[in-house]
Amino acid sequence: MKMSESKNPARREETAGLMEYSTENLVPFGPIHPALKEPEYFKLVLEGEKIVEVIPRIGYVHRGLEKAAEGRPWVQNMYMFERTCGICSFVHSLCYGQAVEELTIYKVPKRAKYIRLIIAELERIHSHLLWVGLMGHWAGFETLFMWVWQDRESVLDIVETISGNRVHKSMNAFCGVRRDMPENMEDHIVEKMKYLAGRARYYREIIDTEETMLERTQKVGKLSVDTVEKLCAVGPMARYVGIQNDVRLNDPYAAYDEVPFSIVTRNEGDVQGLLRLRLDELIVSTDLITYAVKHLPEGPIRVKIPPVIPAGEHSSRCEAPRGEIFYYVKSTGGRTPDRVKSRQPTLANLPAALEMLKGQTLADVPIVLTAIDPCFGCMDRMSFLDTETNKQWTWSGEQLRQYGIKHYSPNQSRNSPILKETHP
Amino acid sequence: MASLTPTYDIERFGAVLVPSPRHADVLIVTGTVNAQTKDRLRKVYEQIPEPKHVIALGACAAAGGVFKGCYNVGQGVQDVIPVDMFVPGCPPRPEAIMYGVLKLLGEAK
Amino acid sequence: MSEVFLRRVEGCAVDAKTKPTQLREHETLVEVEQQYVKQFVSKIWNDGISRRLSTITGLDLGERIGIIYHFWQNKDTLHVRTTVQKTSSTAVSIVDIIPGAILYEMEIHDLFGVTFVGNPWMDKKLLLPETWPDDLPPPLLKTSKSPEIRKRLKLEAE
Repeated sequence: MKMSESKNPARREETAGLMEYSTENLVPFGPIHPALKEPEYFKLVLEGEKIVEVIPRIGYVHRGLEKAAEGRPWVQNMYMFERTCGICSFVHSLCYGQAVEELTIYKVPKRAKYIRLIIAELERIHSHLLWVGLMGHWAGFETLFMWVWQDRESVLDIVETISGNRVHKSMNAFCGVRRDMPENMEDHIVEKMKYLAGRARYYREIIDTEETMLERTQKVGKLSVDTVEKLCAVGPMARYVGIQNDVRLNDPYAAYDEVPFSIVTRNEGDVQGLLRLRLDELIVSTDLITYAVKHLPEGPIRVKIPPVIPAGEHSSRCEAPRGEIFYYVKSTGGRTPDRVKSRQPTLANLPAALEMLKGQTLADVPIVLTAIDPCFGCMDRMSFLDTETNKQWTWSGEQLRQYGIKHYSPNQSRNSPILKETHP
Repeated sequence: MASLTPTYDIERFGAVLVPSPRHADVLIVTGTVNAQTKDRLRKVYEQIPEPKHVIALGACAAAGGVFKGCYNVGQGVQDVIPVDMFVPGCPPRPEAIMYGVLKLLGEAK
Repeated sequence: MSEVFLRRVEGCAVDAKTKPTQLREHETLVEVEQQYVKQFVSKIWNDGISRRLSTITGLDLGERIGIIYHFWQNKDTLHVRTTVQKTSSTAVSIVDIIPGAILYEMEIHDLFGVTFVGNPWMDKKLLLPETWPDDLPPPLLKTSKSPEIRKRLKLEAE
C-alpha cells in the first residue's frame, strides 16, 4: 500500500503507518441498510473533498463456514458453500466440487461439463445485468435500473426452468450435475440469448452516450496495470486495465476448452471501461450458451462417488462473474474434510477498490465502490473524517447516493469538459 | 429486492422502501444473525415507532438455516426481537415475500 | 509449459535449501522455512514465474500452523508451504513484495492467531466480531469448538 499522498504534512506523518490516526475521531456506526443488502461498512478519511484513506471492516456477514465445513460430510458442504453468495452460488459449488473430484479416481461426464458451463454462463449474465442496474441506481438513473432488472427476470426464468430455483440452483453434484437440461428448451434458450445480446448492445449505447452515466464514469476509478497486478485484483478488475486474467482462458475448466471463447479486455482503466467490459462479456456469454446448447453431447450427467474422499490436497479455481474464485481442500481420507479454504473474488478485489477510492471525491464513492461489483452492500453505512476541518459524520448509503446525484446534477454537467468533447 | 421491480412490483400494494427506521412500519430481516449484527438489529428495532411489525425472511433469519451451528451464527431473529411473520425459503421467491407482507398487513388491520 | 515452470521453481527452491514435490500434473508443492519465505516469494514474483497470488491459506497441522501461499500461472499451480509454531506465533509478511496479500494475512491472523511481522493492519480485525473475547483462542484451530465459541459470543438461545 502506498504512503498517503496527503498535502497536509501532519496528516502525512500520521498516515505513513496507515493506521496511526486516532480512532476516537472515527465514529463506528451500525451498518443496517433498509434495502436489505448484506451489512458492511467503511471508514473514510478525507482532506476536504478528496479521499485519502479507506479502512474496511467486513466482519458483519462472517458466519464461520470454513470451520463448519470441517464437521460436515463432503456433499453437505457443497450445498452450504453454495449459499456463500446468492449471485455466484453455482460457481461456488462448482469450484468446491472440482477441488474434491480431483482427489477421487472418477471423471466428470462430458454432458455434465457442458451443462455446468451453461449454468455458469447464465449466472454470469444475471450477475452482470444486476450490476449494470445497480450502477444505474447509484448514478441516479432509476430507469436503467428498472429496465435492466426486468431483463434479469428472463434469465431467472430460464434458470428456474432448468434447475427449479431462481438463486440457489443446487445443480452441482460431485462428478456431475443433478438435473438434466429439460427437453425442447434449445430454441427457447437460443431465442432468449439473442434477445439479451440485443439488450446488452442497447445498454452499451446508453452508457456511451447518456450524460448521467458519462459524467459519473469517465476517468473515474483509474488504476495502472502495475498497481492492479500488485494488489492481486481478479476478474473484470484486472481485465479493465488490459491484463489477460480470465480463468476460463488461462486454466480452462468444465467445457471451456472445447467451446470457442474470446476473452474481453479493455484499456480505458476507468469505470466506464468496466461498464463496457461487463456488457461485452455478457454478449460473449450469450454466444457461449448458444454454442453449448446446440452442441450438447449425449451421455450420462453424473457419476456417483462414495462418501469417503481419499487423502490428499487439491485446489481449484473458477471464473465467477466477479473474478477468480479459489478453493483449497485437504482430506485425511474421511467422510468430512480436514480443511476447506474458500476465497471469494470480492476479497481479492478489495485492496484495489480501496486504492481506487484514494484521490476520488466524495461524490464518486458510490460509483467506485459498486464498480468492483462487491459481494456485500458496502455502502450501507459509512463514516467520514475530514482532516482539514476535523469534521466527522456518518451517512447511510442513500444519503451518499443523493449527494453524488446532486453533485453531478444537470446544471453542473453543462460545463463538463468531458461532455464538451463528446457532445460539442 | 426483486419484489420492487416491474415484474412483481410490491409498490402497487402500497409498500414502499424507506431510508430510515423512524419512517418504517414493517421491518424485514434477511440473513443470519451473528455476534456482530445482534445488537445493531435490536437498536434498529427500537428506533421504529409503534405500531411496528417484523418479518423474518428466509430460513437463515428463522433459525439459522444451512448455517445453523456455525460459530458466528445465532439461532434466529426471534432470539433478538419479536417476530410476527416468518417467510420460509432459501431464498423465498418474490411472490412468497409479497404474500407474507400482505398477509401480515391484512392481519394487522 | 509445465516443464518450464517446474524447472524455474526448482531454481528458486535451491536457494531456499528445499526441493519441489509434484502433487499431480499441474500442481507443485514446495516446503519453505520461514527464514527463506520472503526471498523465495520475491523470486517467484519478481522473476515473473508467477504474477498471480490466489490467496494464502492457514492450516492447523497438529503440532504447528501451516501457511500456504497459492500461486498460479496458466495451468500451473504452485503451493508454497511454511510452518510456524502453534501459539503466540509470528510469521514474515510479504506485503512489501505483494501489497495485495494484506487482507489474506489479516484473515489468518483472525482465524489462527498468527501475527505477520511487517503487515501494518495486524491490530485490526478483518472478520471476527468486535465482541470476540481476548482470552478466546482463534476459531479455526482444531481445539476450538463451535458450541463453546457460540456460548462465549452469546449466540445461544436466551
